[in-house]
Amino acid sequence: METVFGIAVDGVAYGMILFIISVGLSVTLGLMRVVNLAHGAFAMVGGYIASSVMQGAGLPYELALVAAVLLTVLLALPLERLLYRRIYGSANELAQVLLTIGLCFVIVAGMNYLFGPTLKRIPLPDYLSGVVMLGPKAISAHRIFVIGAGLTALVGLWWLLERTDFGIRLRAAVDNPGMAAALGIRTERLYAATFALGTGLAAFGGVLGSELLPLEPYYALRYIVLFLAVVAVGGAGSIFGSAAAAVALGVIDTAGKYLIPNFGEFFFYTALILILFRWPHGFFKRGTA
Amino acid sequence: MTAVATNKDTGKPAGKGAPGRLGRAVRDHAGVPVMAALGLLGFWLFPEDLGLMTRILATALYVLSLDLVLGYCGIATLGQAAMFGTGAYAAGIAAVHLVSDPLVLLAVGGVAGGLIALVTGALILHAHGLTLLMLTIAVVQIVQEVANKARDWTGGSDGLSGIDPSPVLGLFRFDLYGRTSYLFALAVLLVMFLVARRIVRSPFGLACRGVKEDPLRVQALGGSPRRYLVGMYAIAGVFAGVAGALTAVSTGIVGLDSVSFTWSAEALVMLVLGGTGRLYGAVIGTVAFMAIHHILAASDPFHWMLFIGLFLMGVVLFLPGGIASLGERLSGLLSRSPSRTAEGDRP
Amino acid sequence: MTPRLQVRGLSKNFGGLQVSSDIDMDLLPGDRCALIGPNGAGKTTFVNLVTGVIPPTAGTIRLDGEDITGLSAQARVRRGLIRSFQVARLFRAMTVREHLELAVLEREGRTFRLFASVRRVPGLEEEVASVLDIMGLEAVAGTRVGALAYGQQRLLEIALALAMKPKVLILDEPAAGVPHSESQRILDAVDRLPADLAVLMIEHDMDLVFRFAKKIVVLAQGRLLCSGTAREITADPRVREVYLGSRANAHRPS
Repeated sequence: METVFGIAVDGVAYGMILFIISVGLSVTLGLMRVVNLAHGAFAMVGGYIASSVMQGAGLPYELALVAAVLLTVLLALPLERLLYRRIYGSANELAQVLLTIGLCFVIVAGMNYLFGPTLKRIPLPDYLSGVVMLGPKAISAHRIFVIGAGLTALVGLWWLLERTDFGIRLRAAVDNPGMAAALGIRTERLYAATFALGTGLAAFGGVLGSELLPLEPYYALRYIVLFLAVVAVGGAGSIFGSAAAAVALGVIDTAGKYLIPNFGEFFFYTALILILFRWPHGFFKRGTA
Repeated sequence: MTAVATNKDTGKPAGKGAPGRLGRAVRDHAGVPVMAALGLLGFWLFPEDLGLMTRILATALYVLSLDLVLGYCGIATLGQAAMFGTGAYAAGIAAVHLVSDPLVLLAVGGVAGGLIALVTGALILHAHGLTLLMLTIAVVQIVQEVANKARDWTGGSDGLSGIDPSPVLGLFRFDLYGRTSYLFALAVLLVMFLVARRIVRSPFGLACRGVKEDPLRVQALGGSPRRYLVGMYAIAGVFAGVAGALTAVSTGIVGLDSVSFTWSAEALVMLVLGGTGRLYGAVIGTVAFMAIHHILAASDPFHWMLFIGLFLMGVVLFLPGGIASLGERLSGLLSRSPSRTAEGDRP
Repeated sequence: MTPRLQVRGLSKNFGGLQVSSDIDMDLLPGDRCALIGPNGAGKTTFVNLVTGVIPPTAGTIRLDGEDITGLSAQARVRRGLIRSFQVARLFRAMTVREHLELAVLEREGRTFRLFASVRRVPGLEEEVASVLDIMGLEAVAGTRVGALAYGQQRLLEIALALAMKPKVLILDEPAAGVPHSESQRILDAVDRLPADLAVLMIEHDMDLVFRFAKKIVVLAQGRLLCSGTAREITADPRVREVYLGSRANAHRPS
């Protein structure tokens, strides 16, 4: 019973991190039709920035979080302008894969040049490093914070998509890019804004999840498979799909590690294959954001 | 080398801009002798680096197998190492327990690689795009896990060692300096290259190229795209398996990294560097990648990453056809013929 | 004479919507028939039903007397029921010759030969040459399709169909997108198709229809409205009615 509870909490928290980081990847794939293999690098950049401003400039956790998100977005926007815009909607998936993996390599090399190859820590403030009693159960405050942040992101994105002008335009562009352009929706700005949102969330997730996905030199490459799995299972462009997929995969991965530690990977990838057999287009099909 | 490496592998002249019959015949028949000559030249020039160069040759065969899948069928995969590693382990295990003849070991590797490709291909090739990419990654991860856990057979993370092949054809002993290994690898690569060329120019190869361009149209011609895809995937599995076996035979060890996602991704990078859909591209890309890697990674792995990252971005932005298209572009510029449509259509 | 293609009571419902109802049609060897109708008349659905892209709700389709209603699209192709596409669907990086080679090899079931050179398959070169000749495409045989003019791509579509030795050929707007001045070339090509072949052309351009077809079938709202010669059709008040109502978009593809 204790184990089941532990798996549930850790799995869901892990899933929320995966969701926060992957949702941007899902939207870029669904909207701009770009397989962005450098997406994980933005999460890594966020984490590295937070770690360095906390330890270098002595910023508190909350401010470091904000700084990480803002600086990562500032860094990513010129890249969107110079690189990504060339490959949007390109039928040539291979060119996208290579350009973005090349960018990923460059970012990894750059981060290691700037910050060195050691593992980076983001110390948690006191109120997050303790435990919270929930009835008879003790839960790590950080896990609760992560789950809360994930749910907030989910609701926030839902609100943004369903209730705002931006969302209406975005959904129109996802459903039918040609029609959206014909209606005078300025897709370039829309894409840039979406890209910024996605990278900002990735950076946010990178900072928040540094306990679960440790910030090490090969972070961007190591975890991109995981983020892509979330998108494939969730269905490109679907926010609720990403959330469902992230939580499902988070729980599966955690359960595998708890229950059969020797065959964790095996368990995870077998589950992935089975899921993709059952839902080859993901839980939610493209376009039903 | 690039001069002979234009798109001859598609088998047919490329239209008005194509050179005359003589030029075509030269390109058609000169390529393999040139490759052999360069290989022998390398043998003579760099006797100290035969180990590295042997690895390059075996890797070229592995990248060639990916070209069959990606360049001629359009299957984007990040799981080619599953076939390479299976071939390597099968040959390695056979060498430790059963036989020692190197040619038999290559055959064992080829059969193993082909079988795993046939089985997994039949299972996953109904998918497309990102889903397929994920499935190929999942396959390679699972094969790696199996190799990792089956310690008794594979040595797990310590690697499989004790592979001691008998002399090639009973005549040529594998020597300490790696001379036999190198020449053996060169011969295998050339033979397999010729076989691959034969296949891509066969009716089957033609059908696969059709599937790459438009599977539904192939269906409308009465063909079944999935059978071609699975068929070519299995054939490429044989090639990758032989490449794995060749690595096992020539280096004497097989490690878990031979069946990793990274090794799959590196094959993709090498192939694109050289140019997809051209068999020479696979060889050129491998040589370029491994040579630069050897030089740069010796200092700091991150220098290497920076370089290869910039290089990849440069290739996508400025040279979409890969290195192998350079010759084509140059000859296009020189003869001032209208650009041959080949470049635009190739990833 | 057994009809090449015999369609009886062909119907299709999507949910509650009846998009094809109770269509009968006979195509005899040598028939040159046109299928016309205003937008949304169900022409595309009809083609998809006959070629096996979608299954019918009711009705039978026979090819040379054999019931093919339950067969897959590919099986129908292999039996000689061939269609060309409205939007040229070709392999852009392959040459004209390679297209025809592939079509012939597919037809003969020789595409699983791994080690034979395409150039050495017996009879292939001659057959491809003869199709190139009939369609007037020899000059561009070695050109990649991506570099062909659109009109030539349309010709290649028809050439491909011809290379598949059809019994029944369905041409879905063979001249779509071709300038009016050039559509005659397409028609000339169609004229050179084997005489015993049954051809059904889906077309909006009435000029083309009248020049090509000896028999015209009019579809409206998923039903067979009438059929007959050009003269009979133009005189039929019902045809005027369905067309006048939608003349404005009569030449938009449905």
